[in-house]
Amino acid sequence: MARRYDSHTTTFSPEGRLFQVEYAMEAISHAGAAVGVRTDEGVVLAAEKKILSKLLETSVASEKMHKLDDHVGVAVAGINSDANILINSARLSAQRYLMTYQEPVPMEQLVQTLCDQKQGYTQYGGLRPFGVSFLFGGWDKNCGFQLYQSDPSGNYAGWMAAAIGANATAAQAILKTEYKEGMSLTDARRLATKVLKQTMDSTKLEAEKVEMAEVSWKSDAKQAVAYRVLKETELAELCDQANKEAEAKAAAGKK
Amino acid sequence: VEAKRESRPARGAPQNPLLAMSIMSYNGAAIIAMVGKNCVAIASDLRFGINQQQTTAVDMKKIHKIHDHLYVGLSGLATDQMTLAQKFKFRHNLYKLREGRNMKPETFAHVVSNVLYEKRFGPYYAEPVVAGLDPVTGEPFITGMDLIGAMAPTTNFVVCGNNEESLFGVCESMYKENLEPEELFEVIAQCLLAGVNRDCLSGWGGVVHVISKDKLITRTLKGRMD
Repeated sequence: MARRYDSHTTTFSPEGRLFQVEYAMEAISHAGAAVGVRTDEGVVLAAEKKILSKLLETSVASEKMHKLDDHVGVAVAGINSDANILINSARLSAQRYLMTYQEPVPMEQLVQTLCDQKQGYTQYGGLRPFGVSFLFGGWDKNCGFQLYQSDPSGNYAGWMAAAIGANATAAQAILKTEYKEGMSLTDARRLATKVLKQTMDSTKLEAEKVEMAEVSWKSDAKQAVAYRVLKETELAELCDQANKEAEAKAAAGKK
Repeated sequence: VEAKRESRPARGAPQNPLLAMSIMSYNGAAIIAMVGKNCVAIASDLRFGINQQQTTAVDMKKIHKIHDHLYVGLSGLATDQMTLAQKFKFRHNLYKLREGRNMKPETFAHVVSNVLYEKRFGPYYAEPVVAGLDPVTGEPFITGMDLIGAMAPTTNFVVCGNNEESLFGVCESMYKENLEPEELFEVIAQCLLAGVNRDCLSGWGGVVHVISKDKLITRTLKGRMD
């Protein structure tokens, strides 16, 4: 039944569904997980690295985390080549805003512009949608620290904590119970690591399999924010902590 | 016999200055960049005038930071100068996001030249001076350019502005190679102040940046306020 209505992106099915968009979301559910947690001190983005071969030449650029502007970063889940196109577009959009208004682009505007582009591919052109979901983390002077999630349909929403990619529903459920309002940035990092560990396949979390980035105040003076990728040492420490916690919990459970 | 009457604008009507002078002297500027020992210095005056005769602001910096080791100074028409500075920032921001590193001064100079040449037949009325250190090796680099992007890199100094002849003169006499940052500061400051004294369109103090690998010296100069 669905077969007849799923090849053209721009056609609704009789039940009112856009199959291509749904199939795109299906593609994303096979991609590496990404988790975002928002606090009043900053936004944390954590992701599972899927490409782990020893033969890989690591460059400066990361697989899942990308900087869009000084005050915004994004975590990707889905087809990386599709993501690159959209990231480039977002970077240009942010710079054009800065050029015209001489102030950094407000987060929601950036997200909306990108989502409008994604939506275009579900309504005109006969081209397939982008197979990417994003978690945008950043700050602007109107609304402070914010976290947004977007999907191939072009829909977006602001979240306190969100997850995309593999096992996203499970991750989202854990976040729902464990997230607390007024969390500190340190707690947020721990929560993101914990959720990632519980949704990944392996029993022990290793720093090489994880990437984390955050947008937070550069210093205590709270004059400027910066996007930064966490160092190997910080990741190792967080993974260690998460592993120990899980072991302790398992041991307590056995008793 | 009727006397020949000269045509002249009605008494009291303002004369159009653009007929009488170059668009490059509408606002007024003076910029110098110099090479020292593992450092560069760039200095500009602070005057902002309108219609040549009227001084409107005395804190108008013509030097813009691109990154920690790269500065660009722009002389000429102020509006073009401001727009170009914003354009360069735009280009560098994107470069940094894509390449993950800061631009080398030579690369940036080529970007500047390219942006200017794009408007070859309707140019920006601004002449830039680029001064910086290679982010990796720390080697100094300076260059000046005309308004359509012809670069002229040198190893000693570059000047641009309304009174280039004066600026060239003082630099030629006072410049020495391999000056340390503090010495370079003294030389460039004196050259700037001396150079702007004979030009009514630039002056009202100055600002100097001396850029070394690990240190930045920024100082405001007090000169003749006229």
